[in-house]
Amino acid sequence: MTTSAEVRLPRQTKGKRPHFFDDPSIDQMMTFLLELTTEVGVLRERLDTVERLLDSKGSVTRAAIEAYQPDPAVEQERAAWRDAYLKRVLRMHAPE
Amino acid sequence: MAANPKDIPIPNIEELFRPTHDERARQGMVSMIRKHAIIDMRRALKSDYEERIEPKLEREGRKPEDSAAIEKSLNREASYRFYSSIRYNAQEMCYLSVQPAVERALPEMIDLAKDLAVRNPTGGSLRLNPNLEIPRYITALDVHLAPGWVHAEYTADDVAQGAVVTFGGKVFSGQHPYRKKPGAVGESISYWLKKKFPNFKPKRILDLGTTTGKNLLPYCSAYPNAEAHGIDVGAPVLRYGHAIAEHEGIPVHFSQQNAESTDFPDGHFDLIVSSFFFHEVSVKATKKILKECNRLLAPGGVMVHMELPDESTVSPYENFFWNWDTLNNNEPWYTSYRAQDPVQLCEEAGFARDRSFKLHVPDILTFGEERHAKFMRGEIESPAHGSGGWFVFGATKM
Repeated sequence: MTTSAEVRLPRQTKGKRPHFFDDPSIDQMMTFLLELTTEVGVLRERLDTVERLLDSKGSVTRAAIEAYQPDPAVEQERAAWRDAYLKRVLRMHAPE
Repeated sequence: MAANPKDIPIPNIEELFRPTHDERARQGMVSMIRKHAIIDMRRALKSDYEERIEPKLEREGRKPEDSAAIEKSLNREASYRFYSSIRYNAQEMCYLSVQPAVERALPEMIDLAKDLAVRNPTGGSLRLNPNLEIPRYITALDVHLAPGWVHAEYTADDVAQGAVVTFGGKVFSGQHPYRKKPGAVGESISYWLKKKFPNFKPKRILDLGTTTGKNLLPYCSAYPNAEAHGIDVGAPVLRYGHAIAEHEGIPVHFSQQNAESTDFPDGHFDLIVSSFFFHEVSVKATKKILKECNRLLAPGGVMVHMELPDESTVSPYENFFWNWDTLNNNEPWYTSYRAQDPVQLCEEAGFARDRSFKLHVPDILTFGEERHAKFMRGEIESPAHGSGGWFVFGATKM
């Protein structure tokens, strides 16, 4: 049996995947788009951490980025940014 | 002098989950995508239906009358397609965003859970049955799009799925990092129970499909003198839940059993509960489980299950909204479960019809005690399920 240190959990879900678009490639493209949207948010948050560390300490290291713990006010600011960001990125056309 | 093993501090298994900076950021983003789908896009979809699609079809004399007809009228519309696609992807990403941190923590989590299962420092217990056959309605597909759901085991003494469903669930509900305080199922229903039956003092509580016991613990706090039992078919969630309960200082007896047929004696429990449970099992199993509840519930006892509102309780549009999960969230029994009348199900299981009930109870955290008192006096209604209330059904033997 696999040792606990070697476990790699499955990333694929068992069960039929629904298609919401006529062309299933669009369903696949939506996954790409949402993963990419997420990664831009991750990158932005990392930059935000760097800026905050520079503001408070004047220097930055990878270890400091890893150790950074946002306080509730920063968390709230970041949540508001994510919300506004998604509202921009996921802007829907008016129904025809 | 050797330290008493009972005096050793009980570590928190959840603290072993240590996402990196970027993993935390990813969880925050996924949480917000999910919120965007389930709140903003859900609202936009409803407006599109009510303001554009329904009036148009009504003019043509083809107004959709039920959930399936509404779904059909929407499934080629952009508002439906993007809502569905974004909601589906966000659901998958909830679990994907926590899996790497769970993999790294797994050896330590397993060691801790194993140690606590031997020591039981709080006085709970863990009883597993490796020979239990996991029903096909659990294994056939990954419920909630969570690979491995509550039952899959990848190594000896595995707790991974306990952690995956717990932390994935926190991303799902926006607690990680926090967006809002989650709804409180057990707190709300036990609060209602105490107001409704002030003299009721259960000696033993049973929670069906308890997973990690998170919805059982509030009942334990409400009735601290009761002996608490939680059963589930999944071993990893029970091991994980046992470690949490021991850390929380709440003795819970977890056992790996199928709720259709347990090994407890007749009339062993005076409070039987479950949360979000029946719609994940087949209708055939639902009927067997309710019969088992009737066997297990002692005279003077109460059974109360938190569930989705049944079809007859809500509007056709709301039925369409809830039933979306059937095909799109790997919950194949959702629609057929909701088509049953829960009071009828209780009666068929042997409970007295006039002692069976279904109703909405307010979420106590958001509703507040003052308004709750008005609700108990019948002056105001509870908010609906999913909007600040919880739908419950059950029966008493009082």
